[in-house]
Amino acid sequence: MSAGETTTEELKLDWGIQEDPDRLAEFQRRIDARELVEVDDWMPHNYRVGMLRVAEHHANSEIVGALPEGEWITRAPSLLRKLALIAKVQDEVGHGQMLYHVCQDLGKPRDQMLRDLCTGKTRYHNVFNYPAPTWADVAMIQWLVDGAAILNQKSLAEGSYGPYVRTMKRINMEEAFHFKSGEDMVLTLMSGTKRQKQMGQEAFDRWWSPCLMFFGPPDKESTKTGPFMQWRIKTATNDTLREKYVDRFAPAALALGLKIHVANKNPDGLIATKPDGTLDMIEDPLIRLDDKTGHWGFTQPDWEEFYRVIGGDGPCNKQRVALRRFSYEQGQWGRKAGLGCAGLPPTRN
Amino acid sequence: MVSRIREQFEASEGELATPAEADPKPYEVFIQLTRGQPHTHAGTVDAVDDQMALEYARKHYGRDQECVHMWVVPREAIMSTGYDDDLIWPLTDQGYRLARGYAADVRRKWERFRSVKDVDQYQAEDIKETF
Repeated sequence: MSAGETTTEELKLDWGIQEDPDRLAEFQRRIDARELVEVDDWMPHNYRVGMLRVAEHHANSEIVGALPEGEWITRAPSLLRKLALIAKVQDEVGHGQMLYHVCQDLGKPRDQMLRDLCTGKTRYHNVFNYPAPTWADVAMIQWLVDGAAILNQKSLAEGSYGPYVRTMKRINMEEAFHFKSGEDMVLTLMSGTKRQKQMGQEAFDRWWSPCLMFFGPPDKESTKTGPFMQWRIKTATNDTLREKYVDRFAPAALALGLKIHVANKNPDGLIATKPDGTLDMIEDPLIRLDDKTGHWGFTQPDWEEFYRVIGGDGPCNKQRVALRRFSYEQGQWGRKAGLGCAGLPPTRN
Repeated sequence: MVSRIREQFEASEGELATPAEADPKPYEVFIQLTRGQPHTHAGTVDAVDDQMALEYARKHYGRDQECVHMWVVPREAIMSTGYDDDLIWPLTDQGYRLARGYAADVRRKWERFRSVKDVDQYQAEDIKETF
């Protein structure tokens, strides 16, 4: 296994590396023939690092994504919803465990990944830096965010790295439950009283733009798309996925009686208010089906906000990382108890 | 027609002349039929060490069926659950944690908001194979 040969210091993208051209050509031939790459196979350095980054970011996102949802377990409105939410949170943490394993086999020790997440050396998905202030947000997250995740992961399941692809297929099965249960919550809410529908609309307004951002920056600004597409680490561009997403979710939202707004947000991630007290938003003028292209139009999300939040200055960044760090530090006794009183096994870092 | 050599031996009776031998260790064999697919259990071989087990597995299960990859695992290294006295999947209704537990209800609710055709189109993107 290659894990022992690579130190984590070397796990950085380096486009100056000259790979053996024959091996590189053979590797590309296999990728093009849709053969899957396995852990013991030769792979270019940047493929290994690129795959590791994608999988580690994904693993981190599963773990951090469970945090805002976990907070809602005690406040779920019925026993069925509570059971479902507990099961969902358990699923997400389980996805994290499977994905961290994929990363370990690519050469990075798990403990280091957990530490890097707590100290901010690695990131998690930007969408989890937004607040979920009401139960309607929990519903919208399960419909809109899980819907976005499934779309993205279906494309990743078409990728080239065998262990990741197999993990993705398993994860998607569970995501199917999260999505269906999310749809059920949203449909219930939007079939309810005027006040419940209003709650649904307010939550939708908070989540629509983070979901458009979910697929990453526009293709013209996305730097990693080229070689990663060629190696099938990614199989669809950000803009393609975003277009597919809007085509599916915009008409569904309109049918539910929701309005799609372009909104300005305050630093807390909530819709800002204008001096006259009304919400600072307008109905998206571009939302309509273009008969020529067959696609739905939409206003691009605020990409400046995207880069600001990714850079650490989002509504919940500090809170999420602090909670993860708290669990990691407070959980040390649990790891000690589980792994033996003699102490933790020697670190591979 | 019996060979000359065999004719020269007298048939013996009772206990065998050679001492009883211990069985080698059992190894479970897992094969992968095509690249990228999960490995599945194929059977067992007996061997004295890992290398021999792999060699036997290759010659036996690797010739039975077209396959591309193989694992051998000492049986003693495998931990397992029980059947009757060890419940893995709870007997209470687990529908709340499965997509199919919601599917019919969700479909019915969507149809209150959208036409059958629109719901069909929307659901075409659903993940088909569920547990």
